[in-house]
Amino acid sequence: MLRIRRLYWPHVFLVPLLHLLACVLLVATHAFAQGLPTEAISVANGRVVFGGEVFVTAGEEDPGWFNYTGYEYNALRNFRASLSTEVRPSSHVQFLAEIRLDHGEHLSAYAMFMRVRPWPERRFDVQVGRVPPTFGAFTRTIYAYENVVIGQPLAYQYLLSLRTDAVPSNADDLLVQRGSGWLTQYPVGSSERTTGLPVFNNNRYDTGVQVHGVKGPFEWTGAVTTGSLSDPRLSDNNGRPQLAGRAIVQLGPAIKVGASGARGAWLDNSLNPDLPRGETASDFRQAAWAVDAEASAGRWLARAEFLQSSWQLPELGTPYITAPITARSLIVEARVKLLPSLSIAGRGDVLTFDDLAGSRETLPWEAPTRRFEGALTFKVTRNVNFKTAVQWNKRDGGRVRHDTLLAGQIVYWF
Amino acid sequence: MRLTARLAILPCALAATALMADGSAVGASAAAQSGGTGGIRGRLVLSRTPRSNERRPEVASPGAAGPRDRPDLRVGVVYLDQAPRAAFEEPRPARATMDQRNERFVPHVLPVMVGTMVDFPNSDATYHNVFSLSRAKRFDLGRYASGNTKSVRMDRPGVIRVFCDIHSHMNAFILVFAHPFFDTTDPEGRFQLANVPPGTYTVVGWHEGEPRVTRPVTVTGGAWTDLDLLEP
Repeated sequence: MLRIRRLYWPHVFLVPLLHLLACVLLVATHAFAQGLPTEAISVANGRVVFGGEVFVTAGEEDPGWFNYTGYEYNALRNFRASLSTEVRPSSHVQFLAEIRLDHGEHLSAYAMFMRVRPWPERRFDVQVGRVPPTFGAFTRTIYAYENVVIGQPLAYQYLLSLRTDAVPSNADDLLVQRGSGWLTQYPVGSSERTTGLPVFNNNRYDTGVQVHGVKGPFEWTGAVTTGSLSDPRLSDNNGRPQLAGRAIVQLGPAIKVGASGARGAWLDNSLNPDLPRGETASDFRQAAWAVDAEASAGRWLARAEFLQSSWQLPELGTPYITAPITARSLIVEARVKLLPSLSIAGRGDVLTFDDLAGSRETLPWEAPTRRFEGALTFKVTRNVNFKTAVQWNKRDGGRVRHDTLLAGQIVYWF
Repeated sequence: MRLTARLAILPCALAATALMADGSAVGASAAAQSGGTGGIRGRLVLSRTPRSNERRPEVASPGAAGPRDRPDLRVGVVYLDQAPRAAFEEPRPARATMDQRNERFVPHVLPVMVGTMVDFPNSDATYHNVFSLSRAKRFDLGRYASGNTKSVRMDRPGVIRVFCDIHSHMNAFILVFAHPFFDTTDPEGRFQLANVPPGTYTVVGWHEGEPRVTRPVTVTGGAWTDLDLLEP
């Protein structure tokens, strides 16, 4: 039985307490930061470069599991230390890697790939290994200091009731799991209760080959990888790769627009014995497309992204899930600098789902969810930032329908 | 006596103004000493090789970034720690330029006098966002495009660390002095402080954010004093 605890302190006490704590931390951090590196560390005449980021995020408990990226991991409660390395043995070849320690205990190789530039004077690269995402715009914002708020967009983090190793036997099975992405269970496939998948998992890199080119204001990327958007993988689990592409046009220094698409098998081979005769996990695809835009001038920056993803599910029983189930998300964020060391930002995003007909009623197959997060960022030094944020979440389903969460974050990077 | 002191410092201030207008160092004139002043010249010899200035590892990028220029990190600044009182009087308005070119601030180190207006033109095709959180001058010029220039008046002495908010590898220093006795070193470390009134001073060799070496020196009128500053 799960025990969910929560800080029931009224916000009237919590807010002053957080700010008092922040003041103490800022003074201590400022003194401490004087002796820390302020920029990337290079050795061997620039052929080896190290960068890093350390942040601590503290937030209220989240009984609605709005910010969880796994059963035990909450994006608003994290201690992360990451070290990235670039080794450049020649002008043609680079090796890049990033090692992350999350929640103080979970060590992983977030990125690890080789970059080959066949013609050093041309901006054309081939990357092989655990490569950066091709799809989407927010995926470029992997560091806390680049994030305008503290949380992540719903489409890139929020857990849906979909799993790669277990599927609903009919539409009713899926509908009953609405709002339960943090702990789902289905009668077909693995009987374990575990977390579902986000639309796009931004916490892992996929493995494969990526090509990228830039020509004037145009930039394009294509990739073949083993996993899917929802489930990036180190090794293949269904025998069919994902194809992804992205194009960006810089319409001037102030505006750029992009479009992305991806399609790949997403179910796990372990489901094969349970699938209808003649079908295998590789027959069920996740397909997605997205458009995005970024504009900036003076002290403001604004971004917007719309994405749609659909997943094919096997037709196992009545009422059937006949068509791919679809999710759509709109993300809008903006940041304004009020002072050289102070900025204010906000992000609003919605995650909606197509209707699905069950035996008793027709409902969106997952509970539509909305989020708005506002944040203040104070730069203690250029590379030590303190953020405080308030996040409102609302969901049309699940046992917690809405929640307001406070969070604070200290980030150091070099 | 006060008038005499002013007259003594005037040629120096004029030289400083003229040289700062193109963004280069001040007080390094090879002109003969005037008004009974002397000069200090020599080399700033650094024992530590500066690390190359590199971008952060681009693990989130699907490809490598484009080529860029690297700053010459061998350049330092040599200055008098304390200057004659007259040197602090009547600072003249001046302009200096710190360009943003090929993802680099040019020059990487810019010494100026208090009151100088520093222009930050953007000569790149992309946006830049110059800012500083230094106590001597906090500013954020926001994002602006190629061909545009924004300016900041340096109204307090101190070291101002300048960054670009978009390109984290771009950084530079502006050293703001209350007197004109300073010079940027050339890549070999050579410097000249001209038109220094006779007296005993402390000379400081500064490099990449910190004073590396200090030496006492006595200046006599009408002569150059040779001084090599060797970093311990």
